[in-house]
Amino acid sequence: MSVKYIPVQWNRNKWIYDAVMLTGVALFLWVFLYLTPEVLSHEQPVTAQIHNARAFGACAFVMLTVILCIGPAARLDRRFLPLLYNRRHFGVMTAFVALTHAGYILNWYFAFSSTDKLVGLLYANASLGQIAGFPFELFGIFALICLLILAATSHDFWLKFLTPPIWKRLHYLIYAAYFSVAAHVSLGILQDQKNHVFTVLFILGASAVIVLHIAAWLSERREIAAKDGAWAEVACVGDFREGYAKIAKLANGDRVAVYLMEGKLSAISNACAHQNGPLGEGKIIDCLVTCPWHGFQYDVRSGRSPAPFTEKVPTYRLRVIGDMVEVHPDANPPGTYVEPVPLPEPPPDPARDPAEQGATA
Amino acid sequence: MIEKPFFVGYLPAPGPLRTFLLTVSILLIAGLGIAGFLMGAAQDDPGPGAFRFDYGRQTVTGVVELTPYPILHVTQGDDRIQPGDSFLMTAGGKSGVDSRAEPLNGQLAQVSGVVLERGDLYMLQLRSGRNGLQAAEGDAPVIAPEPQGRWKLAGEICDGKCLAGAMRPGRGLAHKACANLCLLGDVPPIFVSTQPVLGEEFLLVTGANGTRLPRAAYDYIAQFITAEGEITKRGDLLVWEIDVDTIEVTE
Repeated sequence: MSVKYIPVQWNRNKWIYDAVMLTGVALFLWVFLYLTPEVLSHEQPVTAQIHNARAFGACAFVMLTVILCIGPAARLDRRFLPLLYNRRHFGVMTAFVALTHAGYILNWYFAFSSTDKLVGLLYANASLGQIAGFPFELFGIFALICLLILAATSHDFWLKFLTPPIWKRLHYLIYAAYFSVAAHVSLGILQDQKNHVFTVLFILGASAVIVLHIAAWLSERREIAAKDGAWAEVACVGDFREGYAKIAKLANGDRVAVYLMEGKLSAISNACAHQNGPLGEGKIIDCLVTCPWHGFQYDVRSGRSPAPFTEKVPTYRLRVIGDMVEVHPDANPPGTYVEPVPLPEPPPDPARDPAEQGATA
Repeated sequence: MIEKPFFVGYLPAPGPLRTFLLTVSILLIAGLGIAGFLMGAAQDDPGPGAFRFDYGRQTVTGVVELTPYPILHVTQGDDRIQPGDSFLMTAGGKSGVDSRAEPLNGQLAQVSGVVLERGDLYMLQLRSGRNGLQAAEGDAPVIAPEPQGRWKLAGEICDGKCLAGAMRPGRGLAHKACANLCLLGDVPPIFVSTQPVLGEEFLLVTGANGTRLPRAAYDYIAQFITAEGEITKRGDLLVWEIDVDTIEVTE
């Protein structure tokens, strides 16, 4: 939410976030580089450049795993949402760590030859027709290119320039990068390991990413069932809480956040204009819907950010039929004002004891 | 209904969330440290190969023989390299010494360089130019090859220099591209046999009839294979002329 571009809009939480992540990365590298050689009882040590390359490569894999676990973890438990807040910085760190890994590899395995290093990288191993001995470096190159693209386009300038939907689709490259890293590791170092601790850690990391994504998907599927018909059901009247939303999934796949504010219902798109963050998982603060990812705010009745900000999201029409709140699937143009619908009193719960109802009335 | 803490990036974190985030931060940092330790400490032993700079520079004389990879059969050694030894030679980086050795084939030559050693395998990385390899005075004795028959061996083709200790580890699939570059640069290929062959674990591997290792064999470098070929003893070095048509990848 901005009216001008500032390279990085720092605040205290971002400093803390980056400090925590940098401390973790520094600890990983320090332990790998300087502590583990002391415990390895090898007659001759692993060559320093190879040791360094392994440290940075392993660190990049772990960082990428953490990055991909944050998203589904936040879906399953909203307390993880703050980890999502500055994830872009962690992604840029990962790109630099991966680039350092590539630098060590290129300047060691592919150096000291009459062949140019980059040419050698692409040409030395041409065994493309086999699994064992496949030039796994190609997967590493692809993953590195993906990470560099993501890092280079992580700034809000690119978000605005490309528009959030395109930007978000572009950043799905993180999954291609992770898949490629998994192939890079599987066809490379895992083929040579006699000690299988790394193999176990690799499988655990990749499994965590897969399991968390499946769990988040199932959870979301349970909560938001696809609806048919012109008007889509959102939730029962009694399910709404003041200041919070219910999310409806439309037949076309779009999601709508239906908020209750001051006893009235309003519906806006669930996708924040900033990074497509889930507006329906936010809350009303100072009469404005506040995105849980980066705090972008909108008037729930019009989908407009308060002046001087200019962000807008689509709004939707609502109606209440009996006990059910329904939303019309046709979105209004972003920023269109829609009169809020008063929320009727929920009908009495027939399952409750009439005597109790009387006692609590 | 209990109010769940709601985090907004530019506002202070709500109290109940702070404890959770502090715990997650500590676990994340500790987890990264533990992962670094486990992954770093799980590295396999790269073997005993190494440059032996501690031996100092070695200067010996012997007969140059092209197999086609150059071998030196020592006639006049020093305190470390004895007469009767045969060893392979390499230049700095991923290069062989073929162009320097070819004019001296069958002649006496003085070589000078640093030893690369891995168990029974050793080679000399020669100094550059004539300082590393030059003709020597004297008559060169004839080194008669001793055929040992056709053998089927199991093991791995490596580049001799990295295997001998230029890189640790200097073998395996993760090192395959580097090994290929070395071999393309005329570094001698070595076959590491899973079982000793005529008392030796390491054999110089060439193509049939004294040719270079065929490009067809490059796809099998760093893999465990079986193959057949003639073994010839040259000096105290075994040379295996691999028949690429018989190569089979094993588990």
